[in-house]
Amino acid sequence: MAVKDKLKVDLFPTIWCPGCGIGLIMQQLATVMDELGLDKGNTVLVTGIGCTGRMGAYMNFESVYTLHGRTLPVAEAIKMVRPELKVIVVSGDGDTASIGGNHLLHSIRRNPDITVICNNNEIYGLTGGQAGPTTPQGTSTISSPAGSAYTPINLQGVVNTNPNSYYAKTTVYHQGPMRKAIKEALGWPGFAFVDVASQCIENNGRRIGFASANDMLQNYRTEYKAAPPGSKHLEPHQLGIVKGEPVPAGNGHDNGKS
Amino acid sequence: MTKRLVQGNEAVLLGAVKAGATFFAGYPISPSSEILAQASVYAASHPEFRFLQEEDEIASANAILGGSLAGAKSFTATSGPGFSLMQEAIGYGHKVGIPCVIVNVMRVGPGTGMPTMPGQGDLNQTRYGSTGDYTSIVFYPSSVTECYEYTIHAFNAAEESRSPVIILSDAFLGHLNEVADLEPIEIPIVPRTLEPLASGGTRLFSGVATYADGEPATADSDEFIRQYYEGRDHRLAVADKYAFYEYGWNKDAETLVIAFGITRRIAQPLAAHFALFRPIRIWPTLDKELTEIAGRYKKIIVIEGSDGQYANVVERMLLRRVKRVPLLGGRMSIEAIREGLAHIGMLPKELASSGSESAAGSRAAQTDVSSVVG
Repeated sequence: MAVKDKLKVDLFPTIWCPGCGIGLIMQQLATVMDELGLDKGNTVLVTGIGCTGRMGAYMNFESVYTLHGRTLPVAEAIKMVRPELKVIVVSGDGDTASIGGNHLLHSIRRNPDITVICNNNEIYGLTGGQAGPTTPQGTSTISSPAGSAYTPINLQGVVNTNPNSYYAKTTVYHQGPMRKAIKEALGWPGFAFVDVASQCIENNGRRIGFASANDMLQNYRTEYKAAPPGSKHLEPHQLGIVKGEPVPAGNGHDNGKS
Repeated sequence: MTKRLVQGNEAVLLGAVKAGATFFAGYPISPSSEILAQASVYAASHPEFRFLQEEDEIASANAILGGSLAGAKSFTATSGPGFSLMQEAIGYGHKVGIPCVIVNVMRVGPGTGMPTMPGQGDLNQTRYGSTGDYTSIVFYPSSVTECYEYTIHAFNAAEESRSPVIILSDAFLGHLNEVADLEPIEIPIVPRTLEPLASGGTRLFSGVATYADGEPATADSDEFIRQYYEGRDHRLAVADKYAFYEYGWNKDAETLVIAFGITRRIAQPLAAHFALFRPIRIWPTLDKELTEIAGRYKKIIVIEGSDGQYANVVERMLLRRVKRVPLLGGRMSIEAIREGLAHIGMLPKELASSGSESAAGSRAAQTDVSSVVG
């Protein structure tokens, strides 16, 4: 099948835990790429460090498996040098919003024509389950056994400081809307961010009381509700898309003009 | 007539452009900021040259990795503190095999240090600053013309070695203006050696240890060892083609002075009394060349803008002790050199100053441009 052409199926089974949400994202991404005609001649993946970062190895594209937190500088530079390429960043919440936070803040300002898909499992999974920048306050983790002390970062707020950006909140349970959001994001002229709530059963879910990955998926079904149409802001646990004013991407070139 | 006054930092940019660089990403930091500023101006009138001022040096270093993978000869410029921030990206460039050039216009450290004063204290950082083992190629010019020439060599060495190559400079050299005639200089340019992204393959460029097909090899020591020696041997072989140094002054003298970068220029008044070995390729060390030359001299003095970073390397290379004249705190002048030589009992009586060498007088002397000749 054409979708399978986007994946290196001979390397399956993947390295991810049974029940991991990342594979669900990869599946939908491969489907969308097939629909959009994205292939190894016109598309590059840039992945971060964390379980999510392993995605590049399983896709039939050239990919750059970057240093922790540095997907955005790498992706922007690739897009600047090769504006004809589709550049897709895939990374986790820690990579994107903690160590990568400063780059997010500034990539937003420059509005490069890149798409970020964030596997937001609210934890640092690969290293065993430490609190991350999107971990809800009070969550018990390896680095916060008494409950994480701080409120999570306002990812949506950061992205929406760019009035021309695209922000979508979805979950790996909501496969149809997630696929739609990824497709729209890939077609958005400028910076697009797809924030995907995704389960990490082994290094987060079990510790906070879920018996299985399916339990976590069902929790997405019951806890997340679609925001009213036309919402300019999504509340926690609301699914939806917030679109800024689409402008033709400037690729963030300074080229001496600023 | 193409001869004109050129600044050291400007010559670096001109050399990069001549070498075919088409992507610069950087962050302002004294004393390198002219390179950023002039790259921005150049980009405004040359749309094929892409410029991006990044939010910090970490972004800059990672951006040039991405730009190079995408197909552009890429470079950045910084100073000591920014260079420290770039270390992780430098290691990544060595691991993955990405040609690029990093210019470090050194100042006095450590920490934020003395932002406008020349130093040479980053030598170890250029060799060992990142985690793990890797083979750095580093050049350090001594004149504005050499800033131009060795920047071109750096881009060539980067392509051949597929690694980040470093050009060292310093606050004095970077801001030095000399009459130079750069246009007639002919150095063959090595074209891009790395196939750009999305050329039809499915390569995985990974900082994590992997097999050739992209599967993680994070527990395979044999594979690591095989890849490591292959990469190291290749880069050492490339570096051999760039074994630049100067051997001159009074070759019949009893004592050999080793000096590099701007120090070699400041020390020129010593030329009648000492032989000179000037490494231009700082790393890998010029073991063969220096061992052969040093064997002719009873004594060796290393004059440098640090507390013996290169002196230690020379002692390791030659397995013999050397004498040291450290020029610290940005006080890089012929007066400071004379004091240092006197301190170790190596000042030729012909060079002893007739006036008083008071501390106040020495502080006022600082970097004496009039003594920079040759």
